[in-house]
Amino acid sequence: MIVDYTKLANEIILDQRSKYLRLLVLDALEGGSRGHLGPALSLIEIIRVLYDSVLSHDPNNPLLVQRDRFILSKGHGCLGLYAVLADHGYISTSELKSYCAFESKLGGHPERATLPGIEFSTGSLGHGLSVGIGMAMACRLKGEHWRTFVLIGDGELNEGSNWEGAMHASQHQLGALTVIIDFNQMQASGEINSVLSLDPIGAKWEAFGFDVVKVNGHNIVQLETELNGTRNSYGKPKAIIAYTVKGKGIISAENSTIWHHKAKITREEIKPLRLEVSR
Amino acid sequence: MRQKALSTVYELAKQDPRIVFIGSDLGAGTLKEMKEELPQQFFMEGISEQHVVGFAAGLAQEGFIPYINTIGTFLTRRSFEQVTIDIALHNLPVRLLASGGGMVYAPLGPTHTAVEDFSLMLSVPNMKVFAPADAHEMENLLCSVVNDPNPHYIRFGKGGEDIVTDKFLEFEMKPKVFGENNSKVIIFTTGIMLQHCLTAREILSQKAITVTVIHCSYLNDLSLESIIPIMGLASLVLCVEEHVPRGGLFTQLIHECIKFQIPTSNLHQVSLQGFFSHNYGSQADHLEFNGLTGPKIATHLESILKVI
Repeated sequence: MIVDYTKLANEIILDQRSKYLRLLVLDALEGGSRGHLGPALSLIEIIRVLYDSVLSHDPNNPLLVQRDRFILSKGHGCLGLYAVLADHGYISTSELKSYCAFESKLGGHPERATLPGIEFSTGSLGHGLSVGIGMAMACRLKGEHWRTFVLIGDGELNEGSNWEGAMHASQHQLGALTVIIDFNQMQASGEINSVLSLDPIGAKWEAFGFDVVKVNGHNIVQLETELNGTRNSYGKPKAIIAYTVKGKGIISAENSTIWHHKAKITREEIKPLRLEVSR
Repeated sequence: MRQKALSTVYELAKQDPRIVFIGSDLGAGTLKEMKEELPQQFFMEGISEQHVVGFAAGLAQEGFIPYINTIGTFLTRRSFEQVTIDIALHNLPVRLLASGGGMVYAPLGPTHTAVEDFSLMLSVPNMKVFAPADAHEMENLLCSVVNDPNPHYIRFGKGGEDIVTDKFLEFEMKPKVFGENNSKVIIFTTGIMLQHCLTAREILSQKAITVTVIHCSYLNDLSLESIIPIMGLASLVLCVEEHVPRGGLFTQLIHECIKFQIPTSNLHQVSLQGFFSHNYGSQADHLEFNGLTGPKIATHLESILKVI
């Protein structure tokens, strides 16, 4: 049976927790008067599930040695990560309003030096996978047992460095490495198929030596199942193609390039977005 | 020099499991013994400098000290963003071992000559830039900075350079002075140009012109405060480097002179030219062409001395 994950991602109804996290994203967006809204809303369930029920982590000890490592390679989706980190107590929810302020911990892209809980600073695309491969290799060399997760945007896959990394992850049989593709099928200038097609996305990752699964990237149960799958230190790395909707949960931002990134956002523009989330 | 550097990494790795070597499709047989004896500390990755630098950053973030070796231009030009963001922004102790510094790869053309590597690497915050003159200094350097927390860029020469730094038993992050404290002529240099400058010094000494050579193998900080008395007596200061005119040792020297209020009117430069060379030949051919050999440096100094 062919499953239309794109349709499922568009049709799924968000639960109250997902709506709450989106309101936190809007708090930060309003505080900074700017930000990447659409890219944050497509990945928020992925990050929610990771921090709720997949990653071994401790908000009171962000550098816990045995923590699982999570790199948001798609750094411009950081509003989603900040919301989840705030909800887990890494920062206070009120701190979200400081987003992009001069002395804030929360920049327009996530930075390890300023915000405890950020595993690696990202922003320029195509960096996270190779760094994650280095971390996964370090775990193996030290005989430790944590896992490494790297979340990559689909537009980000335009960067050739990802494919360099993918080949090496497979060559080294980094079974404890999981790559998640936020496959919202849009990038800044339009649909990815109109810019640079990734088809066939699953076959590409398979050809690069990964175990590949596809999920509805807004379906909590599916994400929990696939992200929690047992992984061995040696073996094929895993790629999860998470079909998502850019701007998911705010109708006027869904599948919209206007809300990919926006500056000079006014409070008046935010108000109707809050109402759309609450519906 | 490269052979000494790699064998030193191997020796260091035997004693320290944090040390790993990463090559990017280097020649067959590179560190063969290390590969067999310490397979977990030896990685020969594909032709993928962007990945290799990011990979090293991930390892370093988890406590390892990766030594990456490949051609200098690939480390500096190809993976500049990974060097800057993955390594330097995170201030990780990754060692970039750059083969073929300057015009070593001249016969391979301008894609392979690392002539603006100092400029690129000195512009990166946290990066420490080194250019040892010979295998002795290379070994001392590598052994002394193992635990330094910053990233390093280390330029290699062609190999087989005369050993001229053996009177210095340990590596220090300050210039090495060859000569007296009262010379009228001072040469600042770095890397394998030291040998050529010492030759120039010898030539001029036979003509009763006393020259002091100051070798700056650590380029970030020239520590001029310790050299101010020497510079105060000099009527001519020449900067000699196998690098494009801007962004390297000469630029560092100007900054330091301004910082310590040392006059720059008597400061001169001999370097590679600031454009891509479309000649091939050997490194020696290019040093000759650019006036970077001992006899040519000596002649250049004499010509300046005649008019000041």
